[in-house]
Amino acid sequence: MSRSVLKLTAANVAKDLRLEWRSRDVFNSMLFFAVLVVVIFSFSFEPTSEESRRIAGGLFWVAFLFSAVVALNQSWARELRNGVLDAYRVSPSPAESLFLGKCLGNFIFVAALECLMVPLFVVFYNLTSAGPVWQLLIVFLLGTWALVVIGTFFAAMSIRTRNRELMLPLLLLPLSIPAVVNMVKATSNVLTADSSPVPQIKFLAVYCLVFTTVCFVLFETVLNAE
Amino acid sequence: MKSKLYPFFVGLVFVLLTYGTYQGLVKAPTEETMGEAQRIFYYHVPAAIAAYTLFFLNFVSSIIYLWKRSVAADSFALATAEVGVVFATATLALGMIWARYAWGHWWAWDMRLTTFLILWLLYLSYLILRRSAEAGSGSVLAAALAIVVFLDVPFNYMANRWFVGNHPQPVTLEAPEMKIALMANMIAFMAFAALIVWFRYELERALRTIAAIYADRAARGMLAMALPAMFLFQIQPRHNPTNYVYAAYIVAWVIYIGYLLLLTRKVARLKREEEELRRSS
Repeated sequence: MSRSVLKLTAANVAKDLRLEWRSRDVFNSMLFFAVLVVVIFSFSFEPTSEESRRIAGGLFWVAFLFSAVVALNQSWARELRNGVLDAYRVSPSPAESLFLGKCLGNFIFVAALECLMVPLFVVFYNLTSAGPVWQLLIVFLLGTWALVVIGTFFAAMSIRTRNRELMLPLLLLPLSIPAVVNMVKATSNVLTADSSPVPQIKFLAVYCLVFTTVCFVLFETVLNAE
Repeated sequence: MKSKLYPFFVGLVFVLLTYGTYQGLVKAPTEETMGEAQRIFYYHVPAAIAAYTLFFLNFVSSIIYLWKRSVAADSFALATAEVGVVFATATLALGMIWARYAWGHWWAWDMRLTTFLILWLLYLSYLILRRSAEAGSGSVLAAALAIVVFLDVPFNYMANRWFVGNHPQPVTLEAPEMKIALMANMIAFMAFAALIVWFRYELERALRTIAAIYADRAARGMLAMALPAMFLFQIQPRHNPTNYVYAAYIVAWVIYIGYLLLLTRKVARLKREEEELRRSS
């Protein structure tokens, strides 16, 4: 990657962060949505500490998946106003830097959300980890990246369709099932310390690698689809 | 549809299907453990393999479309995906009827069942994207999606590998009549799938020609999803495997014929539009 691509990527990320910092509309709605999901789940299950260790992995990722959809939809919808996306398409800057910038920006949003949500989960579900916590960090980094990369790609795709906001979950949810299954499995493995999460972490690493590559290769086609 | 080969091909497929069904229902010996219900296998496996083949062809033609941008490749991609979903639906329905007899419940979160269900969902999402994409960009977006979806399939298998498997392993059929029955059905259903794809492809091309004239009327894909028959069997306390075989074969044909009827309706609409067009010009 040349210097100019990195520079443009940094400019894209900085722009996204600045816009978000000034309006905070995506982050606030995402956070409130995730809190609601957590509260509703804890109403409907009322788990004990032992049980919650087993189910927390699933709840975690379902909450993040749904709130990530909120953020991803907004991230491209913002570019439609004033024809920004068309301006990108005619500008000489490479499409990859736009995509990478969007991915990094969304990654930062979702990661920040996770940092705020984890304490909430711990409080509501009396959660304590039986396994080493640093492994969770790896699972969260890889899992979030996997969701964000394919999510950003599909959001760029669904923004071109008639029913924009509705299309993204329809595309993202079936495709992310293999990744989500592994995130959930890895998270519960660490929390319960029943078995090693290493196979799932390896799976997620390969998944991230393959889909990051594919999305990068195909993004320009999607952006310029006519 | 205009091709001279078409009626010949239809006749051939009809003969093959009749022969295959006769082999499966009558000629093949009854299996020992599963009894008559094993005969569902002769419809289930060819439908599954046809679906996999069609999804693979969808992947290939999507790549060709992105590379050459030929309308033919795009129409072919749509036809294979749509017919593939129909065959996958039949596979799922047949499998569920068999499972109701063999396991006592319609569904189990077994590795193969889960993977196949996700595969079905993935291609449904592909068809939904095709339906709702804005004119023009839809083909490119769908082709990109088809590539991503196809690459997801191996991950799917790996991700679900720890589900405890109830699904029978690829069996080796002992009796030679069973092998013949399976092969006959395999060939028949492959030919059947090829025929419907051909039909659907021609239809898509015709639709596009008309759509080019009526710029605003975009082509619409339709889906056949018919599974109401299964509730009829829920209450029956005693299980007769023969009923399951008939139910499975009938459900398979309800799905295939239902889809063909949808296509026929589409043709009728197309003809009406052509008429209108001719009158107005």
